[in-house]
Order: sequence, then structure tokens, then C-alpha cells
Amino acid sequence: MEIIQIVGLGLIATVLILVIKEQKPIFAFLLATFTGIVIFLFLINQVRIVIQTLELLAEKSNVNTIFLKTILKIIGIAYIAEFGAQIVRDAGQESIASKIELAGKMLILVMAVPIISVIIDTVLKLLPA
Amino acid sequence: MLKLLGAMLIVVAGAMIGHIKARRLADRPAQIRRFIRVLQQLETEISYGFTPLPEAMHKLAQQTAEPLSSLFAGITSNLQSSTGLTVKESWEQAVVERWPYTAMQEGEQDIILQLGSSLGTTDREDQLKHLRLASSQLGSMESEAAEEQRRFEKMWRSLGVLGGALIVVMMY
Amino acid sequence: MDVDVNAIFQIAGIGIIIAMIHTVLKQMGKEDMAHWVTLIGFIVVLFMVVRMLDQLFQEIKTIFLFQ
Repeated sequence: MEIIQIVGLGLIATVLILVIKEQKPIFAFLLATFTGIVIFLFLINQVRIVIQTLELLAEKSNVNTIFLKTILKIIGIAYIAEFGAQIVRDAGQESIASKIELAGKMLILVMAVPIISVIIDTVLKLLPA
Repeated sequence: MLKLLGAMLIVVAGAMIGHIKARRLADRPAQIRRFIRVLQQLETEISYGFTPLPEAMHKLAQQTAEPLSSLFAGITSNLQSSTGLTVKESWEQAVVERWPYTAMQEGEQDIILQLGSSLGTTDREDQLKHLRLASSQLGSMESEAAEEQRRFEKMWRSLGVLGGALIVVMMY
Repeated sequence: MDVDVNAIFQIAGIGIIIAMIHTVLKQMGKEDMAHWVTLIGFIVVLFMVVRMLDQLFQEIKTIFLFQ
């Protein structure tokens, strides 16, 4: 029943934000950010369980842990970038939001390059000379 | 439960602080008006009663309410004391000593001190003129004080409550 | 979770009260002091938010294996 708690929290926070927004919009923005962080923190705990299961599976199936680590880091970058971009977009700064998203995409690409090169090496090895 | 009690205590304290500040603002024009009436009484005593100054001060001390009555009682005791102060000095000393207990401010104090330097040195006609001058000056200060009161009285009260509420929320 | 929910109400309460104090002070004519009060309240709330943000990023770094 945690979803009810989260939805309830979100609704109450939204009402408070609307009340404050017309008086002091800056406080409304901070409140929105804070609520987002709280809900995210609550979720992270649940995500931790999933990732631990994934790690166990990866260990059992003899996959090189470097791959799992890279994937996890990429997921982390995606989460953080989306969180930051959405908050900034909420405050009306669309340009900064798209820059943040662009940065996320670039960093993910940078992380993925070694894996892509490994894949290409493997495929080349499989091809008959 | 205890937290709630403490929180309410702080808000009430803030409200009381605001209320006291508001009351100071309200007391000022009222006290100035009373002082003007006292000066008019002094005028009557001097022009019709021919009463000497110490007796007049003593009568005024008995006829007015606090804090003005202790002001004039102080003047009387200074005049009657054996240290031989002049009227001006006994007036000044009593005024400066008791002024913090009144709600009146610097401007009014200057007017009253100026009045004291003319009492007891000039003749009756001059004293009456000085009394009337002081009365009219106090009258303008009174309207200024009333204006200030009108503008700020409710503000201070709400400010007190809000400040208390703010402290409660910050310390939650 | 419980501490965080209280903090949300705290921030909302501070925001509303500071807005009211700002209005009262502005009506009294002391607009510069009103701006000071708002600024201080904003900084206090900002501290709270940044502290929570730091906590969030630490958790993310731990879970997604320390980037």
C-alpha cells in the first residue's frame, strides 16, 4: 500500500504548491523539488532490491561483471538526468533542461563505447577470416 | 502533546509581544492628550489661582493618573527638597527620570523640557504664553502619533502572531 | 519517510508564513525589511532542500555502483 502513501503525498504537496505559487513562486519551486526528492528517495530503496537480484543473477550466469556495472551506471545516469531535467523544466527553464538531457545522452554514449567496441571485436572474431 | 503545548505557548508569546507594541502605539496619543489637559489646568491655576509653583505641581500630581502623576510628584519633591535646585533643574531632573515610563517620545520630551526652562523664571504673562505654545506643539505631535497608531497598530499585532508561528514551524 | 513528510509540511508552512509577513511588512512601508525576511527564509529552505538532494545523490551513487 505504499503507492497510496506516495500518491497522497504528491497530492497534498501539489495543493500546497498551488497555494504558495501565487504568493512566492520561488518557495513553490523549492517545495516541488523537495517533494520530488522525497518520493525518489523512497523509490530508491525499492530499486535497490531489484538491482541486488540482478547482480545475483549476473554472478550466477558467469557474465563478466563489468557489463552489469556499466549497464547499472547507465541506468543511474538516465535517472538522474531525467530527474534534474524535469525539475528544471518545471521552473520554466526549458533550455537548461534540454542541455541536461543532452549531457545525459552524451555521457551514456561515452560509457557505452567500450562495450560497443568489445561487441564489434567479438563479431569480427566470429566472422570467418 | 507536549510539543503542541510548547508550540502554542510560543505563538501566544509572539501575539503578546505584538499586542504590547500595538498598545504602546495606542498609549502615545492618549498620554499626549492628557498632558495637554494638564498644561491647560496649570494655565488656569497660574492665571486665576495665583498658586505658587510647588503647590500647583502638587495639585496636578494628585489630579492626574499614572504615569503623569508620578512625574509631577517627582517635580514637587524636587522643588521641596532642601538641596536648593532651581525650578528648571528640578523640572528637568524629574522629567528625564520618569520619561521612560511614559509612552511618549523624544519630540514631546524636548517640548516639555523647553517649557520647564521658562517656568519659574518669567512673569505670569510670559508663562501663560509659553504654556499655550507648548499645548499647541503637543497638539500637532498628538495628531502625528494618532496617524502612526492608525497605520501600524494592526500591523504589529499580526506581525507578532506571524513571527511566533514562524519560529514554531522552523523548530518543528 | 516520516521525517521527510514532516519536512515537506515544514517547508510549506515556512513559505506561507513568510509570504504573509512579507505582505504585512510591505503594507507597513518597510519593504526593504520585507525583502530581507523573504531572502532569509528562502536561504533556510534552500539549505533543507540541498541537504536532501545530497542525501539522494549519495544513495544513487551507492546503489548504481559508485559512478
